[in-house]
Amino acid sequence: MLDEKIIEEAKQLILQQNKEEAAKLTQKVISEGTDPLELLKEGFIPGINHVGDLFGRGQLFLPELIKAAATMKTVTDIVNEAIADDSEKQQSQTTVLIATVKGDVHDIGKAIVVSLMRANGFVVHDLGRDVETDKIIEEAQNVNADIIGTSALLTTTMPRQKEIEEALKSAGLRDRFKTIVGGAPVTPRWAARIGADAYAEDAQDGVLKVKELLAQS
Amino acid sequence: MEKIFTRFGDGTPTEMSESELRADLEAGTEDAADRGKIPPLTEDELNHLFDIFSSPYKFISVEPGQEIVLTYDGAHVKIRRHGLNVERIQGLQIYEKVMGADTLELCHVDYSFKPIKPIVTFEQPVMEQALLTTHAPMFYGAMPNLGLYSQPDGPFPNPAELMPAGKIEEAQASHELAVKEAVRDIVFVGSCMIECGADGINIDSTGAAGDADFLAALLATQQLKEKYPHTCVEIGMAGEFILGMHAGLEFEGTRLAGLYPHDQVKLVEKAGGTIYGPVVNTNTTESTPWNVARVVTFTKAVGEVAKIPIHPNMGMGVGAVPTCDHPPIDTVSRASKAMVEICRLDGL
Repeated sequence: MLDEKIIEEAKQLILQQNKEEAAKLTQKVISEGTDPLELLKEGFIPGINHVGDLFGRGQLFLPELIKAAATMKTVTDIVNEAIADDSEKQQSQTTVLIATVKGDVHDIGKAIVVSLMRANGFVVHDLGRDVETDKIIEEAQNVNADIIGTSALLTTTMPRQKEIEEALKSAGLRDRFKTIVGGAPVTPRWAARIGADAYAEDAQDGVLKVKELLAQS
Repeated sequence: MEKIFTRFGDGTPTEMSESELRADLEAGTEDAADRGKIPPLTEDELNHLFDIFSSPYKFISVEPGQEIVLTYDGAHVKIRRHGLNVERIQGLQIYEKVMGADTLELCHVDYSFKPIKPIVTFEQPVMEQALLTTHAPMFYGAMPNLGLYSQPDGPFPNPAELMPAGKIEEAQASHELAVKEAVRDIVFVGSCMIECGADGINIDSTGAAGDADFLAALLATQQLKEKYPHTCVEIGMAGEFILGMHAGLEFEGTRLAGLYPHDQVKLVEKAGGTIYGPVVNTNTTESTPWNVARVVTFTKAVGEVAKIPIHPNMGMGVGAVPTCDHPPIDTVSRASKAMVEICRLDGL
C-alpha cells in the first residue's frame, strides 16, 4: 500500500509536467518493491485525467498539455517495462491486441490501457498508433488474439473502427475475435451502431469489459 | 405523464421521465456556470425550458412578434452539398426569397481568406452580380484558417509537429508569423470585397486553429474598420473557448487562451467588430435538454454584457444542435426557441 503523500506527489508531478522527478519517483517505488501499478492508478492517472479536464475547460493549454503527456508517457513506459519483467503476473493465456486506428496518432490513453491489462494478467500485443486496418487484422491472426481493442481519439478517425468490423466480416473472421472500442469521442451507441462487442469508457473499464466478454464466450 | 421524447447530442432518439429531464436541465446549466464562471439559469428559466421540452409537438416556434433576424453563413455552399445543382447567386436568391434569410453571405467553396487572395478579381464580379440580384445585406465570408500558413500548406514550420517534439518556443514563433500573414490576407481580400460593394465581411470559424487564429481575426477587424469605418465586420467563432495552441498571445493586454464567449465579445467590441457570433459546442454524449440548458446559460451571459449585436451559431454540432448530417427539426426548433426566448439575441 503506497503512502498517501507519494500518491499526491505523483499527481502533482503530472500537473507540474515534471518528467525527471516523475521518472525518479516511479523508479524509487519499483526499487522499493512496491506495486508501480498502484502508483500509476492512484497517482499518475488521476493526475493526467485532471490535466485533460483542465485542458477541456480552457484552463490549461497545449504547451502544458504536451509536457504533461510526455511526463505521463515516460512513467507509463517505466511501469510497463517493470510489469513485463514480472512474468508471474502473465498467467492468463487471454491475448489482447491493441492499436490506435489509422490516421490517429494519440496513444497516451492506449498506453494506460496496456498497463492495466498487463497488470491484470492478459497477454497484450500493442501495435502502437496510426495502424492500418489490414495490419490489425493480420496481426490479430498471427498472435491468435482473443480480443481486438482499438482506440480513436478523433471523430474523423472513428470510422476506422467501423471499417475494422466490416473487414472482419468480409474476411469471415468476425466470430473469431471479440472487439472493444474506445477513445474520447466514442460512445456506447457508436459501439452498438458499428457492431463492436463492447465499449470501454477508460482503462479500468476496458479491463472489466475484457473479463465480461471472456465470461460470455 | 408519458416519457418525453428527445435526443442525445449525436441525434440518437431517447426518452426521459420528467425527473430525468429536470435533472439534465439543471446539470447542463451548472456545467456552463462552472466552466464559464457565470450565473446558472434561474428557476423560472429552467421551468420554461422544461415546458419547451415537454411540448408534444414535433416542431415548435416563438410567439408572433418575437421573431429575430435569421442569417446564414456559407449558404449557397450548403445548398449544393444537398444536391441542388444551382450556381452561387441562384443559391443566395433561394435563401433570400424562399427561405427568408435576412442577411446573405457570398463565399468561395474553399472557405479561407488565403486561397481567395489569388482569385479575388474573379470573386469581385460575382459579388457585384449578387448585389444586383438580391436585396438583403450581403457579406463576403471566409475563415482565417491559420492551418494554411504552416507546412505543408504554408511557408512556416508546422506547430503541430514542433510541439510534440518539445520545440515549444519554435512552435509559438511559427504561430506568431502566421498571424502576420493571415492579417495581411484578410485585410487584402476584405478590402477588395468592400470596395466592390459588399455590405460586410464575415470572419467566420474564428479560433478554429486556436488563440493565434482569434488574434488574426481581431487585428484584421481593427485594420478593416480603420480603413472602412462604416463597413460591417462580423466575427463568428469556431468553438466555445479559445484553445491555447500558443497560450501566450494577447490582444490589448488580455490573454486570449481560455476565453469564454462573454469575455470574447468584449475583445470583438474593442477591435471594432460590428456583430459577434458566439459558439457553444454540442456534447454528443449528453442529451439535448442538457445541451440546450448549457448553451442558453453561456449565451445569456453574452447578451448581458454585449454592446454590439450578437448572432449565435445554431448549426450542426453547435448551439445544442445535434452533430449529425441532417439535424432533426424537433431538436433544432426547441433549441432555437429556447435561445430566442431566454437570451438577448439579435439574430441567429
